[in-house]
Amino acid sequence: MAHDDVDIAEGVDHQVAMVMDLNKCIGCQTCTVACETLWTEREGTEYMYWNNVETRPGSGYPRDWEEKGGGWESEEHNQRSVGEIPSQQDYGEDWEFDHEGILKEGAEKALEPENVDPEWGPNWDEDQGAGEHPNSYHFYMPRICNHCTHPSCVEACPRKAIYKREEDGVVLVDQERCRGYRYCVEGCPYKKVYYNAVTKRSEKCVFCYPRIEGEGPDDEVHPPACADQCTTQLRLVGYLDDQDGPIYKLVEQYEVALPLHPEYSTSPNVYYIPPTAPPQHSEDGETVDVERIPRSYLEELFGEQVNDALDTIERERAKVERGGHSELMEILQDKNPAQQYRLEVFSDD
Amino acid sequence: MTEIVRGGRPLLVAGLLAGLLVASAALAPLIADARPAREIPVENVENSLADPGADGWGEVPAATVPLASAPSSVPNADDTTVREVEVEAARTDGKLFVRLRWADPSADRSASSPRAFADMAAIQFPVNATTQPAIAMGSERNLVNVWQWSATDTTQELLAGGPGTTTIFEQPAVSTESTRSDVGEGEGWSVVFARDLNASVDNRTALDADADLSVALGIWNGENSERAGQKAVSEWYYFPFGPDDGGAPFQTVLWAIAGAAIALVIVVTALSVRRTNEEGKL
Ligand code: SF4
Ligand code: SF4
Repeated sequence: MAHDDVDIAEGVDHQVAMVMDLNKCIGCQTCTVACETLWTEREGTEYMYWNNVETRPGSGYPRDWEEKGGGWESEEHNQRSVGEIPSQQDYGEDWEFDHEGILKEGAEKALEPENVDPEWGPNWDEDQGAGEHPNSYHFYMPRICNHCTHPSCVEACPRKAIYKREEDGVVLVDQERCRGYRYCVEGCPYKKVYYNAVTKRSEKCVFCYPRIEGEGPDDEVHPPACADQCTTQLRLVGYLDDQDGPIYKLVEQYEVALPLHPEYSTSPNVYYIPPTAPPQHSEDGETVDVERIPRSYLEELFGEQVNDALDTIERERAKVERGGHSELMEILQDKNPAQQYRLEVFSDD
Repeated sequence: MTEIVRGGRPLLVAGLLAGLLVASAALAPLIADARPAREIPVENVENSLADPGADGWGEVPAATVPLASAPSSVPNADDTTVREVEVEAARTDGKLFVRLRWADPSADRSASSPRAFADMAAIQFPVNATTQPAIAMGSERNLVNVWQWSATDTTQELLAGGPGTTTIFEQPAVSTESTRSDVGEGEGWSVVFARDLNASVDNRTALDADADLSVALGIWNGENSERAGQKAVSEWYYFPFGPDDGGAPFQTVLWAIAGAAIALVIVVTALSVRRTNEEGKL
């Protein structure tokens, strides 16, 4: 079906998209490792996590990325906010461990970084969260490049070395054209473009395009590795404009899957089901009718739309509790795995 | 003729003389300088001057070229720090050497962390020496050949047809050597670019042509995150490779005007003298 009522970038046939249900993430980092193993085990990529999982509330990766600018000034997409390049310390430096000595030669020392005295690193504030016992809270948020509909990284490059490809809207860095200027790194408000100081080029998440194209040894279409390997299978992958698919339903129909920081105006194509948590407890352990994760914090991340989204989910959940049927709950509970990765619906186009 | 001389008004003669005096006064400094504006002299030498510290450079005249921020749409394009560069050029039978020296107290030699940018310098020539392309990286129809040195110890030869179109020659014909040295008040870079006069490949500027060769310069200060269009650049200058060494069209015109003015002064003076004599005889 065509994308009549779906806003996708001009010149793009279909927009690939991902929905991540934050209620299911256990912070195991399997996705990070899957991505790391597939794409960033090369010289110069040691510090890069194309996929990272950060604890919220928290500083994230790179540290305080939300304060570094980038994106657009408004929905009109006519003025970019320039942004800054994070420092190496903000990403975390490479730590070297004496695995060899300790594990093989039996050296009697602690397994700790040898070359640096670390004060920061990716996941440094893991599980810290916010709030006071017994009402503290945290949740995990996996992040990849959002393959935005209005990518400010693309606009920032004076050489047009980053582009949004026509067939599926995947945003790629042309390694031949890139000259390492890093305007894209400044320009992406999600800080999802990285500079490789060895090749002197920028690099980023490629949405595992060879896998979704079926270019692997088995000639079969696979979802991106982060989705495929996810322990709790919390990611849905497909096309935003596939009106029979769960992504379209969650994003466009029920409006419960939301982009992160919509105010950056890049129109991300990675969407999140906002997290819910058990209500707060009183001093003496009684359940009280106060939400554990403050709405104000979720609004900071997902905009005001998060209120409607949470209300819809709540309403549909209540419906099921009363013995009713809810398509939304069915999608969220993943009872139809065949729907989870719908990557071949447009392959005859 | 006689009419004019006869009926000649002393006022006209005086006016002409005054005008000529003003014109000569204006031309005098240029003539005295003996180097036309925008010319970068090229000294003929015997031995290689590839080493930026070579003694031979002492004999080569230097031109001081002012720089300004390049017009560009990249963020902070106006924020550049290098104001001028000293340029010297020398030629042996087979090679051209160009030495650039500019003040830059911090040597930024690496681009090996996300925020690190290296110092760089570039020399730009029209691919077709008889043209003067758009100064900002040429244009689609009028390409430029660029030699670029980076303090990371890399040298690239580039071809461009407008901003954002730079492509790299797989095998650069240009080589560079650099050193830190005193430039003016403080420390700076001294970089020599060297290339064979003869261009063996299409789209590479030939340096052995018998015509003046336009040249422009660019400097990036890595410490100030300068890269891409955020750079300090010159206007077009030229190496006087033409037959009469110093025959830039503009300069030729100036000399022609000066010559004509001198001739006119002589004629007018002679006429006045004769007239005065004639009047005296009357
Ligand atoms: S998330 Fe950043 S890098 Fe990815 S497309 Fe959007 S602006 Fe570009
Ligand atoms: S693999 Fe899945 S559950 Fe584990 S951290 Fe990644 S997204 Fe979360």
